[in-house]
Amino acid sequence: MSAVTKLFGSFAALNGIDLSVARGEKVVVCGPSGSGKSTLIRCINHIEKHDGGSIVVDGCILDHKAANVDRVRREVGMVFQSFNLFPHMSVLANCMLAPMLVRGLKAVEAEEVAIGFLRRVRIADQATKYPSQLSGGQQQRVAIARAMCMRPKIMLLDEPTSALDPEMVKEVLDTMMELGARASVDGMTMICVAHEMGFAREVADRVIFMDEGAIVEEGAPEQFFCQPKTQRARNFLSRILH
Amino acid sequence: MLEFSIMADALPSLLKGAGLTGRLAVLILLLGMTIAVPLAYARNAQSIWLHGPAKIYILVVRGVPSLLQVFIVYYGLGQLSFVRSSVLWPVLRDPFWCVIIALGLNSAAYTAEIVAGALRMVPKGLLEASQALGLSWFQTQRKVAIPLAVRAALPAYESEIILTIKATSLASTITLLDLTGAARLEVSNTFAPYEVFLTAGAIYFCITTSLSWLLRRFEERLSTDHRTGERSAKKLQPVLPALTNH
Amino acid sequence: MTADWVSGYGLQLLWGVVTTLSVTLMALIIGTVFGISLGAVKIYGAKPFRYSAEVYTALVRGVPDLIIIYLIYFGGTVALTKLTGRYVDINGFAAGVASLAFIFAAYASDIFRGAIKQVPRGQFDAAHALGLSRRAAFLRIILPQAWRLALPGFGNLAIILIKQTSLISVIGLEELLRASSVISGATRQPFLVYSVTAILYLIMTSFASWGFRHARIWSNRGFA
Ligand SMILES: Nc1ncnc2c1ncn2[C@@H]1O[C@H](COP(=O)(O)OP(=O)(O)OP(=O)(O)O)[C@@H](O)[C@H]1O
Ligand SMILES: [Mg+2]
Repeated sequence: MSAVTKLFGSFAALNGIDLSVARGEKVVVCGPSGSGKSTLIRCINHIEKHDGGSIVVDGCILDHKAANVDRVRREVGMVFQSFNLFPHMSVLANCMLAPMLVRGLKAVEAEEVAIGFLRRVRIADQATKYPSQLSGGQQQRVAIARAMCMRPKIMLLDEPTSALDPEMVKEVLDTMMELGARASVDGMTMICVAHEMGFAREVADRVIFMDEGAIVEEGAPEQFFCQPKTQRARNFLSRILH
Repeated sequence: MLEFSIMADALPSLLKGAGLTGRLAVLILLLGMTIAVPLAYARNAQSIWLHGPAKIYILVVRGVPSLLQVFIVYYGLGQLSFVRSSVLWPVLRDPFWCVIIALGLNSAAYTAEIVAGALRMVPKGLLEASQALGLSWFQTQRKVAIPLAVRAALPAYESEIILTIKATSLASTITLLDLTGAARLEVSNTFAPYEVFLTAGAIYFCITTSLSWLLRRFEERLSTDHRTGERSAKKLQPVLPALTNH
Repeated sequence: MTADWVSGYGLQLLWGVVTTLSVTLMALIIGTVFGISLGAVKIYGAKPFRYSAEVYTALVRGVPDLIIIYLIYFGGTVALTKLTGRYVDINGFAAGVASLAFIFAAYASDIFRGAIKQVPRGQFDAAHALGLSRRAAFLRIILPQAWRLALPGFGNLAIILIKQTSLISVIGLEELLRASSVISGATRQPFLVYSVTAILYLIMTSFASWGFRHARIWSNRGFA
């Protein structure tokens, strides 16, 4: 990803982002609200169209051609802040939809895969329920399973815990840590917007700090949290830690 | 493709028809509103003897095609001997009045539903406050409930006006030469359905769109003063008679 | 007299009901498909298409249904006659279904547009993130959710459609109203015949509105 910019009208949400993430690397992105974190990861699977610079995902250049976009999206999974489960489908149907439509799996195979991942996020017993019948934490775990069912090479997570009530944060963080541990085994790349230090320390290979649409600082988690180099990062950390 | 000379030739008689369309629409809306207000109060009443019949009337009228209602009044009533011997018979034999009665009764049901809904939207507290100040029920309705309900009813009533104008085209089925009737006559003389019906459609379109534009302007003017409650209430008062009395 | 009613006239009315219901159903299906497409064009379409769709709706809203029916019926006859070189009488059923479907689509497109816009944007994002094509995302994710939101307005339109079929009688199709006009002429009892017809319409519209009420309750299951 080099010199990427994204404009909303005349406002630059991303302003010359240079970033490369190695295969299997796990990156945590943090920064103040409105700094462009969501915009950054939404550009990676072209949910948001970047206006300048170039993005290469898994060897595929993200120009705005439909074929390339489809190829990238097939390999990139995403978990949203607000879950975005499909309310008119059961949990199981949510997880089976994309493998069947995009990967062309048969219903039986898709169900097998879906049940497998639902079991991993410990929610297989709720498979026939509708999303609205689940708690926020359960919904987010379903969303993680849904993304995993596509067996993505790259996983994008946008503040998966910030819309949750405090008592549900832990169950989702645990799921994410497990996901991180698995990722190391499978060689899955993870890019996660998160503010939880414990999680970042445990899982991340690298922490990226953004402000005003640019990457201000990056480094190993220990170094970033204990000895931030820039004033802006220090201010930010003192606010989230206090 | 289109022959403009036919359109031009048809125009005078079509415009004459449009005049009848306008007269029909005005009379239908007046009859409709006159019946609709008491009907709306009956519909909102506590007593089943009031809201029962009102609801049944509204349900029946809205559940049956208006063309059938026109036929019942125009062809049907003549079958009943007491109608034929009554003093109203000269009126009920005249297709002009038949359309107005049939579509007026029809419009009354739709308008009553609009008015009743608007009256229910007036906050209960305001009515209680008004009565606590010593205003009678009639005064409360006249000074508080109706002015507020008019504003709420306006958007729906606007579309009722447009729908009524379009519904007057049913008059053409019982020999009246309204805009649609005149167009049919022209077609049977010229055998040029495209030209004539397109011209008639264009005239209808001009009438309905310009009217709905005017009505929307009128409504905007009412709601711009929305923030200051007293001012808008004052502004609303002269509006109401325009809709109810005449 | 009674025998006539039971055998001939009763059957004729019943046949009228069947015709009315068939016209309604056909126009409903065609009009819905067309209406959804038009609604989608109004949201996602390129400017010229969006503009045409808006103009189309405005035209249908501004002109009486009868004029549209006449235009399609007589206009269609003239057009086909010119095209084929000899007199072609357009089938009243086809012309009726076509005109009612056109009218229905115009109103339905606005209902579907509103419903589609109410579906949260995140639903589209999630569908895209999973790799679904635009088409699949619309048909599988957005439309099913929009249906639930569109149902009240859609039900109203469908009930209006049942009543609108009576307008087709002016082009000679023997649906319920036309059948009852024929019978009133024969029996010279228009009040009686039209009253029976009114009851038949009332049964159809009440049944439809009962059905849509239940559909609405059913479709809201699982939602707060
Ligand atoms: N669709 C949009 N239209 C206009 N402006 C937008 C849009 N999406 C984001 N922005 C703007 O872009 C900037 C970056 O937004 P972004 O959502 O990426 O921030 P963020 O770092 O994810 O913030 P948060 O922590 O609150 O989620 C913000 O100032 C926001 O107002
Ligand atoms: Mg964000």
